[in-house]
Amino acid sequence: MALRGVWQLKKLVVSYSDWGGSSKGIRAFMESHLPAFKEANPQLEVDTEMIRGQHPHLKALYKNHNDRVVCVKNMDPEEILLHATRLRNSLGRKVIKLRTRHVTKHPSVQGTWTTALKYQDEQNQVL
Amino acid sequence: MIFRMKDRFGLLTMHTPIRRCLQALNREPQPTLSLFKDPSSLRSFSVAAFSNHNISSPLPIFTNSKPASAFGKWHDPRYFSTSKQDDHTKKADIHEEIEDEDDSDDNYDDEDEEDYEDDDDECVSVSSSKKVYTAEEKEAEATAIGYKVVGPLQKDDQVFKPYEPAFAVVQIGSHQFKVSNGDSIFTERLKFCEVNDKLILNKVLLLGSASQTIIGRPIVPDAAVHAVVEEHALDAKVIIFKKKRRKNYRRTKGHRQELTKLRITDIEGVEKPQIELAEKPSESAKKEQEKVPLSA
Repeated sequence: MALRGVWQLKKLVVSYSDWGGSSKGIRAFMESHLPAFKEANPQLEVDTEMIRGQHPHLKALYKNHNDRVVCVKNMDPEEILLHATRLRNSLGRKVIKLRTRHVTKHPSVQGTWTTALKYQDEQNQVL
Repeated sequence: MIFRMKDRFGLLTMHTPIRRCLQALNREPQPTLSLFKDPSSLRSFSVAAFSNHNISSPLPIFTNSKPASAFGKWHDPRYFSTSKQDDHTKKADIHEEIEDEDDSDDNYDDEDEEDYEDDDDECVSVSSSKKVYTAEEKEAEATAIGYKVVGPLQKDDQVFKPYEPAFAVVQIGSHQFKVSNGDSIFTERLKFCEVNDKLILNKVLLLGSASQTIIGRPIVPDAAVHAVVEEHALDAKVIIFKKKRRKNYRRTKGHRQELTKLRITDIEGVEKPQIELAEKPSESAKKEQEKVPLSA
């Protein structure tokens, strides 16, 4: 998730509850994998937030002011790490079906082909 | 009662069942390839014959699953050779070996000799999702797909140049793209690279610019296309819905494809028209011409 070398994920908010059973995985994640994740991504701002009475989630804020929320209730710490890595790896693009797999601003180098185009040999003979 | 003349007299031909061939081999240790005239089985046997020196018996190990099923038919005592004692002893041995081969057969494919030898050495069960790759395996697989990881992008690298009028047709996996400087490409998830990694795509099929076109047969050997990994993301969800009407059958499945976005930074191997440099030498040439007549 880096557009021309610039990381796109600005902030990751890890929301959990200290009482609920659905937050068990994320609490374990915060102890085991979160410090390593923070060190591997120094450009990223990681916050932890306690929300009581709600299921845990990961909130990602991107540079294009998009945000993505992933609910991590009842997940293992490894799965939560996978989701966090996925959020870090993606641009803040809206998740819609791709139109083309090749995005370019200069589609033609040698000139766009038309029916009127005639090819010429090196000796300037028309092929 | 042995009805076929060939079975009676121990002649080996194309129609001889494979088990018979095994028995013949047991009796006289010989190179196995010459005995089999069936071309498809020849192919599979050639892979097997040279590897695996662990098993001491002279029997070849079949990569095809056909031999196992062929054995299934021939367990009936009616089909054994003339010497019944021979058969009873051999049957026990071959039974055990079939069972072993059955397990190992499932793991082996005809395709990669490399994988075959690795499985042999490690004896790993098949769970491809958590396979640990060594560095060489990674490189080998990566080059097979068509790219090479160079390393992470450093801060000081000025990789993102302005547009140059040159293009290349590059193949990644099974997809081909016509790329130019500054384009972005979505490919299937490339396994061995992280975000912000530099890659070199080495399967280049065609290079072109305003002045020159180079056609590869099938690839251009000294060409390289540099790219940077921008993103590893999931595509939008597609719902696969199956229904058979009036049959009470309905299935819904969701699928998100894993994609990698690459930004092409440089194309090497073509003549690129250099406009700026062309102007300067012409200016200096003019000055020299002016000086020369003065001195003369």
